[in-house]
Amino acid sequence: MAQLNFARPDALFLFLPLAAVIIALYLLRMKRREMQVPATFLWPTHTEEVRANALFQKLKPSWLLFLQLLALAVTVGCIARPQLVQRGLTGEITVLVLDSSASMGATDVSPSRFEEAKRLAKAAIESARPGDRIAMVEAGPVPRVVFSLSSDPVRQLAELQPLTVSDAETDAGEAMRLASAIVAGTEGARIVLLSDGVFERIDDFSQGNASVVFQSVGKSGENLAIEAFGSSESQKGRLLFASVRNFGDKVATTNLTILADGKVVDSSQLQIPSQQSQSRTIAVPAGATLFETRIDAKDALAADNYSALSADPAASLQVLKIGGEDPFLDRALALDPRVTLDRADRLPLDGGSSYDIVVFDGVASEPTTSRGVLILGKAGTGSPVRITGTAARPKFNGASSSEILKGVDLDGVYFEEIEVAQPIGSAEVLARSAAGPLIIADTKPNQRVVYTAFSPLESDFPLQIGFPIFVSNLLDFLGGEAGEGPLVVPVGRAFSLPANAPSASLKVPTGGEVQLKPNGGAVTIREAKRVGTYEFRSGNAVRKVIAVLQSPRESALAPEREIALARKPVKSTDAPLRFADFWQPLILLGLLILGAEWWLYARRS
Amino acid sequence: MLEGLRISPRKSQPGRVRGERLTRRAGLSIEFADYRDYAEGDDLRHLDWNVLARLDSPVMRTYRDEEDLAVHLLLDDSPSMAFGEPTKLLIARHLAAALGYIALSNGDALYPVRLGRREPPLSALRGRSSFGRFASWLGRDVADDAPTSLSSSLRAFANSRARAGVAIVLSDGLDPDAAASIRALVGRGHEVWLVQILSDLDLEPDIEGDLRLTDGEGGAPTDITANSIALRKYRDNLHEHNEGLADSAKRGGGRYAIFETSRPLDRFIQDTLKREGWLS
Repeated sequence: MAQLNFARPDALFLFLPLAAVIIALYLLRMKRREMQVPATFLWPTHTEEVRANALFQKLKPSWLLFLQLLALAVTVGCIARPQLVQRGLTGEITVLVLDSSASMGATDVSPSRFEEAKRLAKAAIESARPGDRIAMVEAGPVPRVVFSLSSDPVRQLAELQPLTVSDAETDAGEAMRLASAIVAGTEGARIVLLSDGVFERIDDFSQGNASVVFQSVGKSGENLAIEAFGSSESQKGRLLFASVRNFGDKVATTNLTILADGKVVDSSQLQIPSQQSQSRTIAVPAGATLFETRIDAKDALAADNYSALSADPAASLQVLKIGGEDPFLDRALALDPRVTLDRADRLPLDGGSSYDIVVFDGVASEPTTSRGVLILGKAGTGSPVRITGTAARPKFNGASSSEILKGVDLDGVYFEEIEVAQPIGSAEVLARSAAGPLIIADTKPNQRVVYTAFSPLESDFPLQIGFPIFVSNLLDFLGGEAGEGPLVVPVGRAFSLPANAPSASLKVPTGGEVQLKPNGGAVTIREAKRVGTYEFRSGNAVRKVIAVLQSPRESALAPEREIALARKPVKSTDAPLRFADFWQPLILLGLLILGAEWWLYARRS
Repeated sequence: MLEGLRISPRKSQPGRVRGERLTRRAGLSIEFADYRDYAEGDDLRHLDWNVLARLDSPVMRTYRDEEDLAVHLLLDDSPSMAFGEPTKLLIARHLAAALGYIALSNGDALYPVRLGRREPPLSALRGRSSFGRFASWLGRDVADDAPTSLSSSLRAFANSRARAGVAIVLSDGLDPDAAASIRALVGRGHEVWLVQILSDLDLEPDIEGDLRLTDGEGGAPTDITANSIALRKYRDNLHEHNEGLADSAKRGGGRYAIFETSRPLDRFIQDTLKREGWLS
């Protein structure tokens, strides 16, 4: 049984003063209009209930008064926005946020959490009343609006049907902010999050006038996952390291298999206690180019039961950026599939030896043991230059032919200020301005250093099309150019690959092929959303790309029953209440009453 | 249009001076009426010598007398006649002018009387040459701070020594005692011709709402709610009132007609007064 609720109950208090006005009009003497006629004796002397013989008169029962008060009550009721409290996900304006991250692929609910969330979304759309407007946001690796606010269930269901789960992490915060923006300024809207709650905490979020409903999906957190798979140098030589974690509450047993170029090189059975990890270390087989590992656990999530590693050290670059915020550089670095980027304010105590490349962005460089160093705009100790001063707004004056500047045109680039530097030692000037060198590179036996006399943020270089190419060339130079072997990328992450042919394609592991359009000699790939092996083709060049999921956050499948939005807890609800506005039938009733009042008045007239 | 028309009373009225009207009273006109036996003292000039010669019996020829007809033109000038567009009074004046002209043209004695106003009586007008005076009387606006009601004026006229004749009353008749006054007039031997002049405001009043009606005749104001019920009741009352007026007028052989102010005057004279025998 639906309950009646008022969105603005204070408006009901309007009834009393307005009713008093109507009654006062009946009580007060109404001044009759005077009119002269030839003779009055022919006119009937009786009058209707509206008498005008005294200032105040006794209130007599009147159907007109009753109907007017009834119409007033209905009108005030409409202003108070009556609502029927019902069970259901949708309201008058609803944004459904559908989590399509890796954890939603868990099969602890049949057929999967994602399909269950889709079923809930479908039921919500189908149960929406005519006029209810619904939008949908997919909370995948890159949040997107599936369909905007509309009241077209046929189209909405058609847009919902082809959605599939990804094996990637989700940016749930961005998805929620997108949903909030859709209903910004709209009163009474609701944002319904259909998710297992397995995502990073959302601190930066404002729901505005909207209410948030969290519908948790999922039952169990039992899951085994390859937590880490990597290689490192040791005294015994290069070793492979694989770690498996039991995210469940029970002891689990599984077989861990390590393969080199598709051949099994190690297999072991692991018995892993709850919330514990067990690892396996083996020597790297000689000559292999690709290592893979998998566990045979029949757990809820298969995507994290497999991982891969390229034997080419340049195929994976650990990059440490020291300095302030530079979104242009961060984005350019992230586009390279080899890069795993960390940020810090200062150089670690080990001198950055665990990183392949250290980037000093606008901070004075320090000596480091990494094999590549990039110094942007501020030379310090260990830099291949000697600073003699600064120059303002110099003009590009020419560049030598080098791999670093291949496909990069600095002509016309605006530099606000540069350091006037002199190369020292074996350092070479690759590009210069009228005031001094712009880019200097130095190749030492165990380290390569590139120095730019300008900070990217003090130029318009990041806005040029050549900037990401320049960064990619720098990574090739500093980290050593990757071979043509398999490329291992985190699943769901966008990355770019060189593509010199006019067209390119990507064969996906689930079958089918995606056509890609190269731009500026490279193509950006966003389609690697499922774990598996992809085949990238550009002209005659073929590159194997393996997408892997190594995300402890996604592997910890236990569904959350409460999430925090901007530090405010939101509990999951199995049957959320919805408020269906009830003013439309009241308006109709009010019109009927006014019609009856008019009919009564006309009949008496 | 008015030439050749004459007032056509239903009954003859005794005249005071010889006029152009034949009366039933045997008189000295040249129009033969009947024979009668000779009586001593009769004027021998009217002895029918031919009959005497043939039958040897003295027979007197009698003739219908020719007398003037007293036409009392009673023009209602009470305040209620000032309503309507054009006003009922204006229409009444036009009709009075037409009837007066007809009366004067036929040698009738025309007695103009203004009802609702205090005004010295006018002496009888005779002959076409008097039309100027009559017209001047018609056009005169009489200022009277204390107008009298229609019924009072009619009763006053009835009680006067006015010579019996045709009393043409041009009035809206909107006085509750108008019918009784008409009957009093009839009782004095007048042949009452009542032309009730009514405007649209009288016949189909277009009013609604809560009103305080003030009486044009100075009666007490009435509070009404002018709705369909009140309007229907008003029309019923008017119809009943008019029936009473017509009945009173016709009781003594008189005539009654309603003249709506929206109707052309010539049509009223042609279609009503001539066709129904008011004028011949």
